Parts: sequence; C-alpha cells; structure tokens
Amino acid sequence: MRPAPECLYDNGPRPRHIAQVMLLIHRSRRASEAVRKVSPGGELFVASVVVCMLLASFGDALDPALFGEAGLEFALFDFSGELSLLSMRHWNLLQLLLAGAAVSAGLAVLRVFAAAFFKTPTPAPRRPVDKVPIEL
Amino acid sequence: MDIDFTSGAFWSALLAIVLIDLVLAGDNALIIGLVARNLPKNTQRKVIMWGTFGAIAVRAVMAILVVYILAVPGFMLAGGLALIWIARKLLTPDPERDAGHAVASAPAATFAGAVRTIVVADAVMGIDNVLGIGGAAQGSVVLIVFGLIISVPIIVWGSHLVIRLVDRFPSVILLGGTVLAWTAYTMIVREPLLVAWFEAHPAGKPLVAILVFAISLAPWYTERLPEASKPLVALLPGILAWMLCIEVAGSYLRVQIDYLLTSETGGYALEAIRWLGWLPLAALYLWVRERIALSARRAARS
Repeated sequence: MRPAPECLYDNGPRPRHIAQVMLLIHRSRRASEAVRKVSPGGELFVASVVVCMLLASFGDALDPALFGEAGLEFALFDFSGELSLLSMRHWNLLQLLLAGAAVSAGLAVLRVFAAAFFKTPTPAPRRPVDKVPIEL
Repeated sequence: MDIDFTSGAFWSALLAIVLIDLVLAGDNALIIGLVARNLPKNTQRKVIMWGTFGAIAVRAVMAILVVYILAVPGFMLAGGLALIWIARKLLTPDPERDAGHAVASAPAATFAGAVRTIVVADAVMGIDNVLGIGGAAQGSVVLIVFGLIISVPIIVWGSHLVIRLVDRFPSVILLGGTVLAWTAYTMIVREPLLVAWFEAHPAGKPLVAILVFAISLAPWYTERLPEASKPLVALLPGILAWMLCIEVAGSYLRVQIDYLLTSETGGYALEAIRWLGWLPLAALYLWVRERIALSARRAARS
C-alpha cells in the first residue's frame, strides 16, 4: 500500500482531517480507467445510445411543418413508417437506452452472421517452407 | 415538469437521477464507516445514523436549492457547461486516483467531530452530483426527493455493491458520462436566454449536441484514435464551435446565412466563410502543434 502524497493534504482550504478522510475513498482501478477497461459489448451499447441521442437532437432541429407536411420527412428520414427522426425528438432517456440496446444487439447479431458468411482472411504462417525471405 | 407516475418521461428522469447518483456518489458514503471506525461501539452506531441523516439532509437541501437556482436565467447554461466538465472528468483515466487507498490516520475522536466531518465531506464532494441531479430533474423537486429516496440507501448501505458493479461493468461509468452529457445538452437548450435563439436557428441544436458530446466524451474516443489522428480531439470541437459562431454572427449581423434562402452578397460571403474559413485556422493549429512537438523532441534530445 503506497502512502498518499503529502502535498495532497496541503491543497485547498479543507481541514486536515477531512482531506485525509477524503483520500480514503475507495475507487476501483477499473472504474477510474473505465474508458480503457470497458468491454467491446458495453462500448458498442454506449456508442449506440450516443448515436440515438445525436439523432434525437437532429430530429429536434427539423421543422415538422416543413418536412412533415411536404412529405419530405417520410421520404428522407422515416426508417420504417413508425420510427423517424421527427418522432425521436420526443424520446426520453428510457427510450433512447432501449433503442441503443436494440441497435447494439442488432449490430452484434449482424457481426455473427457476417462472420459466418464472409470468412475473414487469415495471414499466412510466418515461416512456411516455401516462403522466400526478402532481405533489404 | 408535470408529475405523471405512468409517463415514460418521469421514469426516465428518475433513471437519469439514480444513474448520476451512482456514478458520481457511489463512494462518498464510505466516509461514514471510515470516520466512525475508531469510536466506541455504542457511539459508532449513533455516528452512522446521524452522519447519514445529516448527509442526506444536506444533499436534499442542496439539490432543491439547485432546482431554484437553475430557474434563474443564465444559470442553466452555466450548469450545463459545468456538467460537460464533470462528465469529462468522470471519463478521464486517472490511475493516480488509486492513491485514495492510503492510510486512515485521522479518524474522528468525538461524536460531534465525526458527524461534522461526514456532513462537510459529503457536502463538498456532492456538489457535482447535486448539479447533475438538479439538471436531470428538470425543475421537479418531487423527482429529486424520489431520486434521493432510491439512491441514498443504495449508496449508504450498498456502496460495496455499487463499486463491484462498476468494477465488473466499467461501461456503467461510460453510460453515466453519456447521461451527464445528454443532461448538459438539454440544460443548454432549455436556457431561457437561448430558447428564442434556438427556435430561430434550428441548426444550432444538433451543433450544440455534437459539440457537447465531442468535448464530454473526448477521453473515451481519444483512447481509440491512432497517434496521427489525435489532433481530431481538438479539431472536431473547434470546427463545431466555428459553425456555431457563424450561426451566432448571422443572427447578430441580421444576415440570412442559408445559401438557399439568401439573396444578399453578405449572406453568400458569410456562407463561404462558414464552410471554408476554418481551413486556414485548422492548418495553423496543425502547424503550431507540429512545431511544439518538434521543439519538445529537440529539447529532450539535447
């Protein structure tokens, strides 16, 4: 267990005993480095939520009178008749999280199926018999 | 915000409050146990009870105050900007934070001292948390009270569970940062001083949203960028801020900057500046960055 740097106690106007108690707060190393330790699945989910939030903000910028009535909204932004950027403007956090989960699950399934249909090229063995090393 | 217990908006605001509470205050309550640990057993129980009560009371009062303060014009924008900084700080990797495991050399010796330490430490450390839940509550005191009722027991009696949860799933921290960024965006666009401007300039909303996410989540995507693409971390928010400034300039100069609608030379000029004007600035930034890196390398070599 490392001793805390002494300078930390002297920073700020807090009394010494509070500073020491605050230093005791347990923070998990993985949590403090969440951006490095996050799993690919979790990252995909949060990224999908961010994309949904950005789409909702785009929907907020569209003028329903202009796009909705002219039919442009259906032509340009309506994904499946029900789900559109214009309706996303009213989505709350719960809906955005569910949409993010659905998108990330869809992408994960797509990745599995894509891997089944399209074989990933594998590199040749590093030192095969018939491989001629080229030295410069 | 109208309170309708069956509405999705109510439950999602409550979810945002609980999530912000968990990621920003998950470990505050450990203070209580640490402060009280050297006191006699019968005093310990009293310190834990009164310390928890005091911390909850102070936090509730602060959160309710924040709701009223945010109603003052200008404070919603300031709160949104502060939340961007909080989200960025939450996501920035900090291995040194582990120094928090250091020795407990000064537990409180008296009952009053222990309670005071708990309450003051919780108040000092809970400012970011209170601001976050104040923004997520959208002006509803009932929501804040509900959020506290749900999250405080989790934090006080289940802090180890929360820590284990974020340890097992670090994406919870990422999600918390995202929710903070979303709350910051909604606070900025709900700012009473800016509502009319956003109504007149709808393009401003997605620009602000991308800008907020680009700044708040920068520590996350910086980790994934290759070294050559690192300047994007500054360039992307810079270009978005440029676009936003042109929108603001258009409203101040009273020039129509949409090239489909403009009929004046000023409008076309502003449109050209909007799409091309950032290029020399970006080139200048890259050049200066390269020069600084070069001189640093030279200094290290010499």
